[in-house]
Amino acid sequence: MTAPRDTGLRRRASDRPPAVVDLLDGDTLLQIAEQAWLALVGEDEVLVPLPAPLPADTSSSWVEIVGPWTGAVVLTCGRDTAAELTRALLGEHAPAVLEAEDVDDALGELANVVGGNVKAVLPGPSVLGLPEVGATPPAGSRADTRRVAVLWRGQPLTVSVQSPLHTERENEVPL
Amino acid sequence: MKILVADDSRVMRQIVIRTLRQAGYDDHEVVEAEDGRDGYDKVRSENPDLVLSDWNMPNMTGLEFLQALRSSGSAVPFGFVTSEGSAEMREKAADAGALFLIAKPFTEESFRENLEGVLS
Repeated sequence: MTAPRDTGLRRRASDRPPAVVDLLDGDTLLQIAEQAWLALVGEDEVLVPLPAPLPADTSSSWVEIVGPWTGAVVLTCGRDTAAELTRALLGEHAPAVLEAEDVDDALGELANVVGGNVKAVLPGPSVLGLPEVGATPPAGSRADTRRVAVLWRGQPLTVSVQSPLHTERENEVPL
Repeated sequence: MKILVADDSRVMRQIVIRTLRQAGYDDHEVVEAEDGRDGYDKVRSENPDLVLSDWNMPNMTGLEFLQALRSSGSAVPFGFVTSEGSAEMREKAADAGALFLIAKPFTEESFRENLEGVLS
């Protein structure tokens, strides 16, 4: 299949999909994450908005939002932090040895709750996907990413609302 | 009294059950279901007094689960516990016959407010 020819037409600014930085501010994203932590992780579990470098070995979970704004809400932290979060979420039901499946489930569910609440403040109608867990998905464009960096129990964690990688390619102007 | 909790996340099912207990509903039997289809089967086999269901689940969504129940003639009281609480979803839930929609993250107070009268 050949690539479509450049017609020379340029998109008007109003045709562009909205950027998340224009739709969601950092304080709102932080509040959404804080509420999720207080309700799900524990009532004393605060998030401190201080950026710190993530460790080399991280876990990410995310949910996709598809609508007027399309992208993903991605939660990233160190693997040890992910395990500690899982124990906190399971509470008294946490097993002595955590299964990888439990950690994926816990991290995915946190992304799901944060993602659901992010979706609610973005323009609709939009659809929320099921949570996924794995290597941190690459962000498409820095201009279309809202990211907050926090500390939970002194460990770094980021919440990123980011456009998919292909959006940037679509916006490239052929030479 | 028996409560069926349907959520594809085991961790979230545990949190819902813990919150039910914190809200004072600690003397009720709880049955767990992994998705809407499992929930539908368990409503028929376990005959619960209340269903608390997630919305976004594989195999059968919570809304499809509720619609299937009502189509089969089941009038079991049904409430959603979901990460999305938009006006549009609340309307869809009510139209399908749900009694309430509790948005995640929830508190024991939100459980008490919605379950009062349903579980007496």
